[in-house]
Amino acid sequence: MGEQTSETEGYVGRSVRTIEGRGPVMGKATYTNDISFPGQLHAHILRSPHAAANIKSIDTSGAEKVAGVVRVVTGAEAAKYIDPIPHYIDPAVFGGRSATIRCLALDHVWCFGQPVAVVVAEDKRTARYAVSRITVDYEVTTPVIDVEDALKDGAPMVVPGWDANMIMEVPFGSGDVEQAFSSADRVIKTDVKVHRFSTQPIETRTYNGVYDAGTDSITLHGTVQNPHPLRNVLSKILRMPENKIRVHAPVIGGAFGMKMHGHPEEGMVCFLSKLIGQPVKWVEDREECLLIGAREQVHSVELAVTKDGMILGLRDHYLANTGAPSSCPGWGMAFLTGLTMPGPYSVQNVDVQLSAVVTNKPGWNASRGYGKEVTALALELSVDNAARELGIDPVDMRMKNFIKKDQFPYDSPTGLIYDSGDYAGVMQKAMDAIGYDEWKTKQEEALKEGRYIGIGVGFELTPEGGTLPGTLVGGYDSSTVRVAPDGSVRVLTGVTTPGSGNPTGIAQIVADELGVRLDTIEVVQGDTTSCPYGFGNSSGRSTIVGGGSAAKAAVEVREKIIKVAAALMEVDESSVTMKEGVIASGDKIIDLEEVCYACYTRAYDVGSVIEPPLEATAMFKPGLVRHTPNEKGQINPYPSYSNAAYVAISEVDVNTGVVKLLKFSVAHDCGKVINPILVEGQACGAIMFGIGAALAENITFDENGRQLTKSLMDYVMPRIGDVPSITLTHHDSPNPVNYKGLKGAGEAGVGGSAAAIVNSVNNALSPFGVMMTETPLTAPRVWSAIQAAKKAQPQRKVA
Amino acid sequence: MEDMLEDTVLVNLRVNGKLHELEIPAHKSLLDLLREDLNMTGTHMGCMTGHCGACTVSIDGRVAKSCITLAATLSRAKITTIEGLTEEDGTLSPIQQAFWDEAGFQCGYCAPGMLMCTAELLESNSDPSDSEIETALAGNLCRCTGYQSLKRAVKAAAVKAKEKAS
Repeated sequence: MGEQTSETEGYVGRSVRTIEGRGPVMGKATYTNDISFPGQLHAHILRSPHAAANIKSIDTSGAEKVAGVVRVVTGAEAAKYIDPIPHYIDPAVFGGRSATIRCLALDHVWCFGQPVAVVVAEDKRTARYAVSRITVDYEVTTPVIDVEDALKDGAPMVVPGWDANMIMEVPFGSGDVEQAFSSADRVIKTDVKVHRFSTQPIETRTYNGVYDAGTDSITLHGTVQNPHPLRNVLSKILRMPENKIRVHAPVIGGAFGMKMHGHPEEGMVCFLSKLIGQPVKWVEDREECLLIGAREQVHSVELAVTKDGMILGLRDHYLANTGAPSSCPGWGMAFLTGLTMPGPYSVQNVDVQLSAVVTNKPGWNASRGYGKEVTALALELSVDNAARELGIDPVDMRMKNFIKKDQFPYDSPTGLIYDSGDYAGVMQKAMDAIGYDEWKTKQEEALKEGRYIGIGVGFELTPEGGTLPGTLVGGYDSSTVRVAPDGSVRVLTGVTTPGSGNPTGIAQIVADELGVRLDTIEVVQGDTTSCPYGFGNSSGRSTIVGGGSAAKAAVEVREKIIKVAAALMEVDESSVTMKEGVIASGDKIIDLEEVCYACYTRAYDVGSVIEPPLEATAMFKPGLVRHTPNEKGQINPYPSYSNAAYVAISEVDVNTGVVKLLKFSVAHDCGKVINPILVEGQACGAIMFGIGAALAENITFDENGRQLTKSLMDYVMPRIGDVPSITLTHHDSPNPVNYKGLKGAGEAGVGGSAAAIVNSVNNALSPFGVMMTETPLTAPRVWSAIQAAKKAQPQRKVA
Repeated sequence: MEDMLEDTVLVNLRVNGKLHELEIPAHKSLLDLLREDLNMTGTHMGCMTGHCGACTVSIDGRVAKSCITLAATLSRAKITTIEGLTEEDGTLSPIQQAFWDEAGFQCGYCAPGMLMCTAELLESNSDPSDSEIETALAGNLCRCTGYQSLKRAVKAAAVKAKEKAS
């Protein structure tokens, strides 16, 4: 596709290829594991084989005898040198229970896979072997695995000393719920169980800690989404000031939330490097990567509805199985699920309550969607179930209940302020693009031949750019734009990229705002020493705040260049234009390099009209966020509300239960599109997550809490043949307060697409009366549901 | 002191046209040999179980997963890695160029597998259909793109390769 022409002037809005895309196709992009240093050592971690146990003793002598082993460290020894890991989002800030998390367990383990000891050796194989020579005497205790068990009277405590297996209970909502339910024609209840699934980037987490004794400083090279906030965390763990710590994130091979910090290994490699005086690298195994959980929730959604499908009220007391405590920000996903209720629907009487439960499963980390995907699943499956119960069309029911486009900005019952949107328009576009009505005809014809085609829709509201008060989840960000004497441009930003292409989006914005050619711009990210302070990559924020701040800085630098150009050409500066590196005033044209060189070298004559150097740092802080609680105690952590509608067409083989996706459509409102080809990539990638979530990806445990999912053979992610052709359309309603109306494009897709798939399968199997609301819809589950439905309704005539 | 006494094997193999003679432990994977002994880090580790395909290389003209291939079995083999796709003067091959131009990748970590498998496919099929592309890339996981851009890139690569050949 390359550089497409379009009606828009400038680079913004065009599908330009990524400036960072050359390295990967050559095999020359430098990922963290590609970096090694002289004297490089390798760490391997001994992990608990038990979900809950007391550690009575550890004998490391066997490991220490292995040739090539440099050091063996247990939790007890580590605790002499390092402190616990501060929480990314501390539950205590919100009135919840906060556990002490250490890099290595001290005397008790609370989940399978928890780090217990670490071996550092001259090569990775020796380290791995030596770990097998450590003997730990565990006193195994009874674990709690399921949320229901964790809340029973007398349940064992996951965290010693807590009086309940609960991080916090949070009520959301307002309105007169009792009245809504008592005046409703029907109350329709849908139990939605969302399973544990994960992001699993192809590059696993990798950290390389390098201590420099001469300056008593540490550099962490790592797969890190948020370098600056991590620097603060490392300073607490390592008992070192932040100015002695550098966090450097090289090219990242996908993140999707998993590389947000709080992981034990980040501080561990830094501490080990300082202890030993040599660089220490740790590379995560896929088995270790699969330990990181997310999303597992049990919902019981009650919709109070009129017989024609108006939703009057919503009640949902839900349980989140967040696993054992972790310093990663994963548990906060459970909070966002409730906060985003009731999504796109104009329902003001809402009683939603979260119970964020701890169990002896491994903990969570942030995962694309950040809880909002579960909101979408819970709502969209419930609406379909209600529509079926009421005998009305599921699309009609949604259209009837969507917030109308003239209702924005919209105050949600949980305290959010939705900036803009046209949900009915988005839904209609998704349906038109796939030929919704034609598929209904095809479905009828197929059924006559005994083929079960299903049509399902889903909607997802994805608040983006989130910021939480009192945490390093920041809402603003900063960028520096530097123009060198030769006119080339370097942009340094506090946001980072997991590989999504935002450096190119930011460069497109700077090219237009500054007035230079795109190929003269370099974007530098992911380094706490060179980049201005920022909060990195999360919550679809990178182009909103990275682009917004870079645009402001570019405008400042442009003004300087124009002033000096005007002085050089001896014209009025209002007559000077600058576009794609060409500076002109009427017929006069002057070379960009000549002007930039003059800015630096003629500070005492023509250049004296500006303050050199050609450099500016600016900050962009989106509006609409409200951190001061309103009269109901509610905050609005988001400036921007992306949204999307999905239509899935599937076919179910009723003899095997296998679901095949035939076609997919999405209409997406992410505000202004900077680079269509990159936004399309984000949308399609998120839909693939939804496909995996709906049909296959699942992390399972045995009854003792030992994880059974250990490799990509057990954790089945979509392959190229599993993803159908996807039609993407845009339906932009610009954010009124963000730069260029940006809303964020990275997160939407996981829950809405998964819901559309589940709904399509239920639709396909409606002749049997099947209604599945527990994910994933694996073939055995679908087959069993068909068999159960056949038994329950033997009178119904089915193929 | 316990020593992991291990047999070593002498192998000589040709990687991207260059001959290497190495004495390596018998257990060493081709992936580790490339990355650790030859410092060629373009081939990536994703799972070490052969499922993700990020470690794919070409051995004697057939794609293979280097993480589950013992280097000791490869004496006299001709290996091509992702680095070997770039021409000697630094020009990108039509396949590399197409994947870059079409935004085939996002993070690019799966690139070694996708590119090596595309190269093998286009070797014998200058105009692959969707299902032929799906078959050729079936062993390679991508977590970023949803595969749409990869399919588009393979098709563009086929066109570019034909243009170059004619």
